[in-house]
Amino acid sequence: MPDVDVLVVGAGPGGAVAAWHAKQAAPELDVVLLERDRAVGSPVRCAEGVGDAGLREFVNPDGADWASRKITRVIFQAPDDTEVLVAERGVGWILDRTRFDAYLAAQAAAAGAAVLVGAEATGMSRNGNDRWHVRVKERGQDDVYRARVVIGADGVETMVGRWAGLDTRVPSRDMESCAQYVLQGIDFDPDAIYLQFSEAIAPGGYAWIFPKAVGIANVGLGLVALKTDGRNARQYLDAWVARRFPTGARTGYTVGGVIVHTTIKKTYAAGVMVAGDAAHMINPLSGGGITNAMKAGRLAGCTAAAAIREGDTSERRLSAYHKAWMDLLGDDHLKYYRIKQALEHMDDASLNSLARTVNRIPQEKRSIGRIFAHALIKHPQLIPVAARFFV
Amino acid sequence: MRRVTPDTIAVVDLAVCDRCGLCLPLCPPEAIHLELNVLTVERAACTGCEKCVGPCPVGALAMVPYA
Repeated sequence: MPDVDVLVVGAGPGGAVAAWHAKQAAPELDVVLLERDRAVGSPVRCAEGVGDAGLREFVNPDGADWASRKITRVIFQAPDDTEVLVAERGVGWILDRTRFDAYLAAQAAAAGAAVLVGAEATGMSRNGNDRWHVRVKERGQDDVYRARVVIGADGVETMVGRWAGLDTRVPSRDMESCAQYVLQGIDFDPDAIYLQFSEAIAPGGYAWIFPKAVGIANVGLGLVALKTDGRNARQYLDAWVARRFPTGARTGYTVGGVIVHTTIKKTYAAGVMVAGDAAHMINPLSGGGITNAMKAGRLAGCTAAAAIREGDTSERRLSAYHKAWMDLLGDDHLKYYRIKQALEHMDDASLNSLARTVNRIPQEKRSIGRIFAHALIKHPQLIPVAARFFV
Repeated sequence: MRRVTPDTIAVVDLAVCDRCGLCLPLCPPEAIHLELNVLTVERAACTGCEKCVGPCPVGALAMVPYA
């Protein structure tokens, strides 16, 4: 029955950064990072896009083998395929998540954390002695880890949050169902990401093309099941790919869920913090969660280290993590969520006309804010929602 | 949560399921489990609400008579 100070469940970007920063902040602590699957970073359930600035807070992507492609342009596509190029600076990267997640786990290991693969947490309970007893199944063997602090970075299907009594349920309308192919031999601008919005293509979400290399891309979509005509995400994707890339070779396939909600009301309990997708820390407008999870992981890891040093891992002490997250990004996500709700009022005809209007603005002056302003002029019913966002 | 016996409950087709876990946080009674890479629906806990069925990206969940 091993005793550890910090047990991190889930070795995605959030968990790896949590373990890395906990150990870095307090090198005397025993920090263990658990990964359910037999390899960190696999299977990939992600479109792999990440913003440049957020990434650089942690690691340097220049020349890294885990960065597949640098992105310098964003192309929005209307339902009728009208393209709107939005001027952005230093946009971002398409990662190789298999290598990226392994690289982050290696940083945690280099800092002194123990990384265990093929180790699945199957339950936990709090005993009176200020420690969580976490049951872990590893190579068919059951073990119990006694941890002062458990960090749940166990993704969309989080169990740690539930075991700790936190409400991690998602309203169906805020869960996007996603399906994605890796397509090879297709023609597109390899320096751009493409985002297509249309009720007919991806109701309640969007379809994407994220380049991995010249001629190779993650091509997928996310949709809200309540808004569909009865087909599932894979069937919607098959229809879109058949139209856009009929000759592309499908060399990979993945499905999953993206929570486009706001941060759960309580991300902590005595001796427990949850981070990343597990706590719904995803930008609800873009569905992007990688750097959100890493920032939350850093906060959780540092909070755990400080709390253990102070000898106080109570619920009250760990509430500092929740507050820090809400100040950093959680409150912004509430605003993005309102914009998302506003955009849901736009039908395909409105989106087509908006794209043509925006294309009359000089390219260098186009920004998300200006596009939104034009949407308001065309659709005054959005103003009350927009007012809440800007106020 | 008081539970009455539902007319139908959810079942998972493991040949189709991709183990993505999307359905877990959607289940109000937390009747869906993913352990050791196998998805199960806890028959005694499912309330038949169907909230897991539509969102499954591959259509692996379906409702069947409780009987």
